[in-house]
Amino acid sequence: MSYNIPAYGIYLGIMIFIIVYVGRLFHKNGRVFILNLFKGDAAQTDNLNNILLLAYYLFNIGYAFVKLRFWTKVTDVEILVSSLAGNIGLLVLILAVTHYFNMALIHYLSKKESLTFTHK
Amino acid sequence: MNNQFIVAAYFIYLPVVLVLTWYVAYTLFKNGLVFMRDIFNGREEIAVATNSLFKIGFYLLNIGFALYILKINHVIDGTQDTIEALSYKIGGFSIYLGVMLFFNLYMFFRGKRAAKQRRLDMQMMQTQYGGNKPEQEG
Repeated sequence: MSYNIPAYGIYLGIMIFIIVYVGRLFHKNGRVFILNLFKGDAAQTDNLNNILLLAYYLFNIGYAFVKLRFWTKVTDVEILVSSLAGNIGLLVLILAVTHYFNMALIHYLSKKESLTFTHK
Repeated sequence: MNNQFIVAAYFIYLPVVLVLTWYVAYTLFKNGLVFMRDIFNGREEIAVATNSLFKIGFYLLNIGFALYILKINHVIDGTQDTIEALSYKIGGFSIYLGVMLFFNLYMFFRGKRAAKQRRLDMQMMQTQYGGNKPEQEG
């Protein structure tokens, strides 16, 4: 009796939910910062924001599917829970690291902008 | 068949860790908004956005880590082993959470100090150049 297919079902359900939910939050909260970088150009901001959201979905959902190929053989409930937690945990950690990297990037970009602005 | 102890340990570990993370994030970022308002000079929109971005980051990092370290690699037989393994995991995770809490608090204080410095600089510039207010604030 193999539990692999239920594991895939649970994994994809949880992962796609997390990725979409978090992506919408980023989309909503990040808009102010892109608006700041573009000095208030709303149309360009919304365009870039939507393209970034799409790229984020493609990368992360794509990677979530790729991980199915390397799943261990699930023979009982213990391996089901631990493999689910390990894989979901790794993906969420990757999301966190890219998120902090993006925040640092926006911070440095806006600092550079404001410096050139004041010393012009 | 000693598998059932490990499964029971997982199902105790998961809710405890999730509730712990939620509680710490809730407490930290309820107070974080006050810091953010101070850092961004009362610009409400950007303060709320930054606070919720930090909150998302905090949740992702800590829940991701909690799930990642869930697996118990050694054999467990008996209630005593279960309690020992669980307390090792939950205790270790809560120490890690404490470190992250202090790290976030340190970042808040750093931002607050930088904002204060910027305000002082602005004041000095205004007194030097005779009320000629610079158009870009911070």
